[in-house]
Amino acid sequence: MTWVTWRQYRYQGALAAALLAALAVVLLLTGLHAAWVWHSALAGCAKNGSCASLPGSNLSLSTPLFKTLVVATSAVPLLPGLFWGAPMVASELETGTNQFAWTQSITRRRWLAVRTGWLLLAAAVLAGAVSAIVTWWSGPDNALTADAFQVNRFDVTDIVPVGYAIFAMALGICAGALLRRTLPALAVTLAGFTGLRALTALWLRLHYMTPVTVYYKLTAAAFTPAGSYLGISQGVVGANGQPPVAGPGNYGFNGVPVPAACQQFMGIANANLHAVESCLAAHGYRGYVTYQPASRFWAFQGIETGIFVVLAAALLAVTFWVLKRRDA
Amino acid sequence: MTPVIETSGLTKRYRRVTALSDCTISVPQGRISALVGPNGAGKTTLLRLLAGLAAPTAGRAAVLGSPARQDPAYLAEIGFLAQEIPLYRRRSAQEHIGFGAHLNPRWDGESVRARLGGLKIPLDRPVGALSGGQRAQVALALTLAKRPRLLLLDEPLAALDPLARRNFLAAMAEAAAGGDLTIVLSSHLLADIERVCDHLILLAASRVQLCGDTETLLAQHRVLTGPRKDTTAIARTHAIVREDTTARQTALLVRLNGPVIDPAWAVEEANLEEIVLGYMSQDDPVYGTGPGAARLSAVGGER
Repeated sequence: MTWVTWRQYRYQGALAAALLAALAVVLLLTGLHAAWVWHSALAGCAKNGSCASLPGSNLSLSTPLFKTLVVATSAVPLLPGLFWGAPMVASELETGTNQFAWTQSITRRRWLAVRTGWLLLAAAVLAGAVSAIVTWWSGPDNALTADAFQVNRFDVTDIVPVGYAIFAMALGICAGALLRRTLPALAVTLAGFTGLRALTALWLRLHYMTPVTVYYKLTAAAFTPAGSYLGISQGVVGANGQPPVAGPGNYGFNGVPVPAACQQFMGIANANLHAVESCLAAHGYRGYVTYQPASRFWAFQGIETGIFVVLAAALLAVTFWVLKRRDA
Repeated sequence: MTPVIETSGLTKRYRRVTALSDCTISVPQGRISALVGPNGAGKTTLLRLLAGLAAPTAGRAAVLGSPARQDPAYLAEIGFLAQEIPLYRRRSAQEHIGFGAHLNPRWDGESVRARLGGLKIPLDRPVGALSGGQRAQVALALTLAKRPRLLLLDEPLAALDPLARRNFLAAMAEAAAGGDLTIVLSSHLLADIERVCDHLILLAASRVQLCGDTETLLAQHRVLTGPRKDTTAIARTHAIVREDTTARQTALLVRLNGPVIDPAWAVEEANLEEIVLGYMSQDDPVYGTGPGAARLSAVGGER
């Protein structure tokens, strides 16, 4: 069965390997360039001791084109599931070739297990390889901009792409087995994968662990968490935990509504910001930042990978059940 | 000796439709059995149940004594060729031989090469590029390479031209010549069937109407023709399968239960086509094996 699987997928496998190689060459060249720029800048700042100000500076490591390309690799985990997973069972059912395959001396269970196993492995290897290159490519950029935990960086580096790829493959195979048609299975895989990815990246991920909230005095400098943290919210709250309510004049500064008690400091022409801040602080208001610390990066990678792998396992269980129970 | 196919009460219902109802048949070893019946009679369903591709709603089916199921040992005994002749269209016959070699315990790839070589069918071309007749030959050769003891063929002749049909049937008959292989062949082509088959299963309205060796069936049935007259006397002894009455005369297909005594009737042997058509065109098909057989003998018994 392994041999049969190999024969049926070798051209597609070769195509995937070629595309992977092309992407690797592009990222290798631009990544080497970025690393060279970064290390030159480090060497330069070491001479005059200005390296502390290097992060956040406008050092240009790459062009927007290649940055977009790296963000676009977030589609890579979907592709094997879409183009190999969805047709795996569906195209056999569509053309009736399952009647050839399933009347050889082999159970459907074994047919499904071997194919699914190899395709899952291929998807994981492909996504893992792309992720490894992207992770390496992103090293200097992460050091410069500290955005390893941000959407579009977290999602294309380290282990989560492998989890996504396994999920997409399981979703494609399951949708194909249930719908028995390739095109609808493709559509469901695309929609399901995109939907779940958006849901986790934009909402669920913020809540994997109870976030940390740090309060700071408004009269002091605003608090910035260390390293590549994942920001959730920030602003000003009163002693009651509520944000200030704007007074009659509807004034605000830095986006914070100024309550009635402090409006006297809001001269229309030139407000004394320091006086407003002091007034807010005196009335019990303070600044806060709610975030997931950079130290939780690997925990979050693990949790998110786990979620997608567990969902994949559930989808595959459904697939095995459907293929065993339903008539061919 | 155990029959190669034995089913009892085999029933398959899809959501609302009953595709096969209470099917009880038995096919001895070495027979080439014709599975006939109108469209939608349940022929494909019966074959798919025997091939383990579908599971019965009720009843049981057994091949060589073991129940039909998804099991390597069971599947190894059966060769199934579906109606649409499903092969991987972009793969060559050679590649299919490779697939079979890896998926079957006893596989005779050499026989496929020899058979297709003899028919001058290219092994290295994608099967989608072959003609319908060639594709059917490839599929048959692959099915036989499994060395099955039961070959199930679902209307393999439907898409073939007369020459390809003859070649296909010749290949099939040659494979069965040893006497070990049992074949069930569903088809609408009664003339072809009459030439090669020695056993008949007739399904109509999802029920078995007839099941038996063609010799026995031919011996059991007669065509009676005579002046237009009351048939109750005949019906008292024999079972009237079909009655055709014109202004002048009456023609009956009857299942005999002893000799026809009334000299008013001219008695002729029925051919297989007449018998099959007779049962297929019944308004209320109640004759045959299974529960129908019980009613038939009841009819015959009222003497």
